[in-house]
Amino acid sequence: MATATVARGAETEVLSPASEEEAIAAFGDGAGLTILAGGTIVVPEMTYGYLKPERVLMLGNAGLTGIARDGSRTTIGAMTSVQDLVELAAPLGRCAANVADREIRAQATVGGNLCAPVGRDAPRGDLQAAFLVLDAQVRSAGAGGERTDAVEDFLADKDGRLVLDISFEEPAAGGFARLDRPHTHDYSALTVCIARSGDGTTRIAVAGVDGPAVRLPSAEAKADDPAAAGKAALADVSFADDALASAWYRERTLPVLIRRALGDLQEDA
Amino acid sequence: MKLTVNGVEHELVSPPLTPLLYVLREELGITSPKAGCQQGGCGSCTVLVSGEPRRSCLLPAAALDGAEITTLEGLGSPEELSPIQTAFHERYAAQCGFCTSGMVIAAHAYLEGGGGSEREPIQEALAGHICRCTGYVKIIDAVSAAAGGDITSNQRWLPQPGEEAPVEVPGAPA
Amino acid sequence: MKAVGARLPRYDGVAHVTGRTTFVDDVRVPGTLWVKALRSPAHNADITRLDVSKAEAMEGVHAIITWQDVPLLEYGHLSALGIPADEPLLAKDEVRYKGQPIAIVAAADEVVAQAAVDAIELELAEKPALFDVRKAFDSDAPVVHEWGNWYPHFEEEMDRRQIRKGSIQEAFDKADVIVQGVYRPAAIEHVPVETQVCQVVPEADGRLTIYSCTQALYFSMGVVAAHLQVPLNRLKFVGGTVGGGFGGKVDTATETMCSLLSLKCGKPVKWRWSREEEFLCSSTRAPWHMEIADAVTKDGWILGRKMLTLHDSGAYSRFSPYGLTKHSFHHTGAYTIPHLEFDGYVVYTNRVPTTAMRGFGVTSVSFAVETHMSRIAKELGIDPFEIRLKNANRIGDTSPNGVVYTDPSTVPTILAVADELGHELPADYRTMSSEPRSAEWLPEHLVAQLGNPEDH
Repeated sequence: MATATVARGAETEVLSPASEEEAIAAFGDGAGLTILAGGTIVVPEMTYGYLKPERVLMLGNAGLTGIARDGSRTTIGAMTSVQDLVELAAPLGRCAANVADREIRAQATVGGNLCAPVGRDAPRGDLQAAFLVLDAQVRSAGAGGERTDAVEDFLADKDGRLVLDISFEEPAAGGFARLDRPHTHDYSALTVCIARSGDGTTRIAVAGVDGPAVRLPSAEAKADDPAAAGKAALADVSFADDALASAWYRERTLPVLIRRALGDLQEDA
Repeated sequence: MKLTVNGVEHELVSPPLTPLLYVLREELGITSPKAGCQQGGCGSCTVLVSGEPRRSCLLPAAALDGAEITTLEGLGSPEELSPIQTAFHERYAAQCGFCTSGMVIAAHAYLEGGGGSEREPIQEALAGHICRCTGYVKIIDAVSAAAGGDITSNQRWLPQPGEEAPVEVPGAPA
Repeated sequence: MKAVGARLPRYDGVAHVTGRTTFVDDVRVPGTLWVKALRSPAHNADITRLDVSKAEAMEGVHAIITWQDVPLLEYGHLSALGIPADEPLLAKDEVRYKGQPIAIVAAADEVVAQAAVDAIELELAEKPALFDVRKAFDSDAPVVHEWGNWYPHFEEEMDRRQIRKGSIQEAFDKADVIVQGVYRPAAIEHVPVETQVCQVVPEADGRLTIYSCTQALYFSMGVVAAHLQVPLNRLKFVGGTVGGGFGGKVDTATETMCSLLSLKCGKPVKWRWSREEEFLCSSTRAPWHMEIADAVTKDGWILGRKMLTLHDSGAYSRFSPYGLTKHSFHHTGAYTIPHLEFDGYVVYTNRVPTTAMRGFGVTSVSFAVETHMSRIAKELGIDPFEIRLKNANRIGDTSPNGVVYTDPSTVPTILAVADELGHELPADYRTMSSEPRSAEWLPEHLVAQLGNPEDH
């Protein structure tokens, strides 16, 4: 007989589609549905009582896992683990390697990270910065059918969308820098990603701002001068205080991270 | 839903979204994985899922239909410790013991994956596990020793009645 | 004696590495109810309404306790040391910190227990809160505690710990330089990997079996017996297996609350704190505010120290008067200073009450003293090892409260460190020892403070 129970979600409907088609059909327009991908974000929310879903869509069996290459284009299934990205080129590989620890990375998914809502006490969704600078395309299903959006547009309007995969062109060079606290697997207070594409365009993005990750066009315009780029970046961001760091501290560290990541870029080329 | 834990198959009654941690602790009475934070942040709930270390506090039962789970109880017993358990005991890698289950599971997976005795890869493998007592040094020592085969063979540590304790006392009479 | 010098195995080592160690949360008692708490959402407020009736009527709720269920509501953890009780087990007319427990629920499972907590009707009239110990003495500061903003019950109703030795004015008059510093270590949360947890089982003979993670089993027995107003032989405590305490599990109140719930509904109950609760509501090491002004000669003698300490006790006293007392004895650290003026206050703020953590009361002052020594060295341009060696405790020196040192280890310790670091020292420093001061190491100003080691 069970003892002190922590009975959870006895009334919640659990959907477990066995293919991409079934997942899309089950998702519909996403209304009233909570997606459970890796579970690293959703499960603690349920455990602590912040989230009481009525219907949960579990994607573990929907065949959305895998990394495919077609020439210079890489396509990553939404349910691919963050750990599986670690060997990829900078900035994505390094950004993925910096997420949490290997047990969490093995369970967390690319789709979950991309769609992570802003954290209660610490930033989430570091990979958003990497995908922004890779000019990635997000293929999703939902109301109105399947769509492919630039990741920037997707992040601005992701409600009611089921991410299927993310694709991007291999960058010519990548750079990465982050502000961690000096122990193990804490969330990163700031994550800076940089990519230079084959045509020479340099993109710079940061995660850990007040909202989803953003591009830093003012810094991009000065990418040849790391110190100037760092200073210019502050015009493109707004920071909030959270449990990891104050806005004050982030303002002072962002220029340093940009300088370092640009330095990375030179070496990676 | 079926779940095999330490070689024994169970038919679960817990609701499908119950995290594996509570299935193990509350339904099946397997208490080595601990509820340290219930957010995936401390590592004390870690078990092996098909041989891979995972946070049982983050895995809903419904995601594990048919899976094979190994907990610390499945790695060895007081009568027959596995090498990593022997190493932890010999090197005093456990003080209060609360983080030990997760640490040993992660260390076991590291060794099974061919991990060596250098300290940095061990630290990386155990990076998701918090210990507040030991300061980690002896834990790394234990994993390093196990990787290098530098442990006594599996043996019961405590002497049987009538036996002498297997310790060396400097200067003691022979 | 086979144990001395031997490398013995831990008696609990095999259990730890095989997962057999039974922590409180591992104890299995069929029919155990789950416990959740209603905690104050406000930092400082009067309770104007508390109604648990709707929650009590919910399906699956077996018992709810409030202050009315507690036979002796206030019991001082250190009453035996002369620290009067000031903290109610459960809030009655007011709350003084965010997270303060108001009502405790025992229910069939965690979901029902939390729903019941959410259904309790609570109304508060919020008042301004005090968070900064430095403001506690302002005439317009919010009043935190029934005794004002600082503890007034030291011996002879002193409102501070006070140490006076020699004449601080003489020291200041004779000094070449006054070196000042302010030191403010922050609160530290213990973060044991095991959160606070307690399981209580009502026995058929009317006793309670209490599985506790307390670090202080007999202490906790006394606390429970006092609140419940029962003789000690009504309680059977099972403990000693603690998943990390570090001082944070010496002031547990979960045993008392679970005992009351168990008595009320006749069923076993278990309360396991969530990690959020542990971070937000469990007691921490105290923050401290320390101001030091040292009267110093240009050749590095410390003639006198004037010090003010404000110890942030949070909303209630708990062990703070005791911690401050220890702190005050150590305010010269490993060094001998003849003229002293020390004042220390236990200050109340609207924060979670603070408690012991390793080195309770003394780590703060050690940090301040050592940092200050380095500051003095820097200001005077003197080697930081030399300034420490010069002022280090010797046999026959006396502590701030007049205890004669018979076996201080400051000098050999500092010399060993210098050795290890390859730090060069002049010959007369190299040959220093802990032997009683003499010759150049016994300046005039240190003569009066000398004591007789035989008197120790």
